Amino acid sequence: MAAETGTTTERADESSESPTFGHERRQRLLRRGLYVIVGLLLVFLWIPLVAMMFLSFAVNSSTFFPFQGFTFAHYTATFADGSLMTALLNSVQVATFSALIATVLGVLASFALVRYDFPLKELYRTFGILPMVIPGVVLGIALIIYFQTVLGMTMGPITLILTHSIYGFPFVLLMVTARLYTFDRSLEDAARDLGADPLTTFWDVTLPIVAPAIGAGFLFAWIRSFEDFIRAHFVGGTMNVITVSMYSMIKYGTAPKMNAISTFIVFVIAVALAVAMNVGNVTGYVAGTGGGEEE
Amino acid sequence: MSSDTSGSKRQAVISAFASRKRTLGFTLSPSLLWLLLLLMAPLTFMVVISFMSINDAYEIVWQPTMANYSGLFTGSGPFWETPFFHSLMLSYAIAGITTILCLVMAFPLAYFLARRGGRTFKVIIFLVLLPFFTMYLVRAYSWYLMFGPSGVINRTLLKTGIVNGPIGLFNYGIPAIVVGLVHAYFPYMLLSLYASMEGLDFSLVEAARDLGASRTGTLRDVILPLTLPGIISGSLFVFVPALGAFITPRFLGQGRVLMVGQLIEGRITGQYAIDYGSAASMFIVVSIVVAFALAFRYVSIEELGGV
Repeated sequence: MAAETGTTTERADESSESPTFGHERRQRLLRRGLYVIVGLLLVFLWIPLVAMMFLSFAVNSSTFFPFQGFTFAHYTATFADGSLMTALLNSVQVATFSALIATVLGVLASFALVRYDFPLKELYRTFGILPMVIPGVVLGIALIIYFQTVLGMTMGPITLILTHSIYGFPFVLLMVTARLYTFDRSLEDAARDLGADPLTTFWDVTLPIVAPAIGAGFLFAWIRSFEDFIRAHFVGGTMNVITVSMYSMIKYGTAPKMNAISTFIVFVIAVALAVAMNVGNVTGYVAGTGGGEEE
Repeated sequence: MSSDTSGSKRQAVISAFASRKRTLGFTLSPSLLWLLLLLMAPLTFMVVISFMSINDAYEIVWQPTMANYSGLFTGSGPFWETPFFHSLMLSYAIAGITTILCLVMAFPLAYFLARRGGRTFKVIIFLVLLPFFTMYLVRAYSWYLMFGPSGVINRTLLKTGIVNGPIGLFNYGIPAIVVGLVHAYFPYMLLSLYASMEGLDFSLVEAARDLGASRTGTLRDVILPLTLPGIISGSLFVFVPALGAFITPRFLGQGRVLMVGQLIEGRITGQYAIDYGSAASMFIVVSIVVAFALAFRYVSIEELGGV
């Protein structure tokens, strides 16, 4: 079973000549059915977000009816909100620092996992994935108790960056190891045979091939830190990050600004993702194939 | 790219990485240190705290006790009537339903993506990934707008005259939570399934069909066994976070549904009951260990890492 899953797929030509007309019709119906299902799933994924985006421009911001017209007032109010903008900046800083740490640790660990054998390697990999899977409530509590009672730290930016660096680590690890597994080692051997020293080989051969996966890992870790509420809620102390502000906005019912800031974030992420997909071919790495279309 | 300006420094770097053992040390130790300090130590300490108690000054009393655990299951009635047992079972049920729904919904889409390349693939994967990359909080909030007696769904139904009163199904509660969680964790399932289907040799499917297997027979005997690693890892990545969910039940349950994540959060931030919270968290931690152990019986760790 494990052997077959590793083989590469040739996308079979679907228009296979079929003996009977009924078979062909059923084939077509099934394919059409699949399109319908895909369409419905996309509607499910998008409908709440589209509704929210629409409401961000509506005068009455929490429901469609009665509709009272369009306005930009929610946006101007949102961007004029100083504490909200500070929180946004704080989040960007925390996400950047923690994703950088996660990327450095994740890239190094990936090389160790893929290229070397050491005792308890499988166990190590399991623990490497754990921070991504373990619910935020559990990790948040474990860390706040630990930081406070064992290390005697005050909750703030440092504890939050440390927490998010461990949270982002598995995302980098998974993407970079996937890339390294499909990496053709003979390219490195060729470079060495042609007289390149190990450092040159690393810079000119290994790194350029692995770089897109590293970029995708960084992006993933960055977004996971940026969007995290529950861990920040526990270990962020009095620091105001965007998710904490948004959480209290929902809790105390100030929908207009929430719609506007959310729509703005969806838009920024859409642009970033579109650029990443067309420039760096992120899809392949995110979808775990490690291959992608560039081959 | 790299000019030969500082040859001695270069040589130092090269010789530092010359022995395999030392390279392993360099590459492994930073993350090992991080994992030990920020994952293993806190979790171990949490286990210890769960057997201790705290006094009124919020200090830890270093005296082993089972009081936290027994406290979870004692109330006026038998243990299955205690709030903790209730929310634990409710969390398992909600996480289980969420996992099954994600699996059923993601399977056809993953199949579609695996058999389709080029532009269609790119557009659809973008449309799937964008909600995934969008903040979790934003997605929970967008469903919060949709549900409720005067939410978008009920208001729209009322205004269009389809119904003449708000429909309970679209009010806040368990169905709303399940929808929110499916929306939140669906991409994890999809990506896991896609990863294992992408590597699937579809000529095997055609061979089965040529040899006379029915569609359902092919699905059962060929496709399902070959995509089992994806199914298992996807289920793991949906079930475990859904079990400890906090934001979604908080906003889409509106106090009517208490999942275990909310219960723990409430005790910690409200009363700083770290002993009680740790003991309650142990049930999630043990569930994770059991889920992983079960998964490893069927798939190897390499296959699990396919997400």
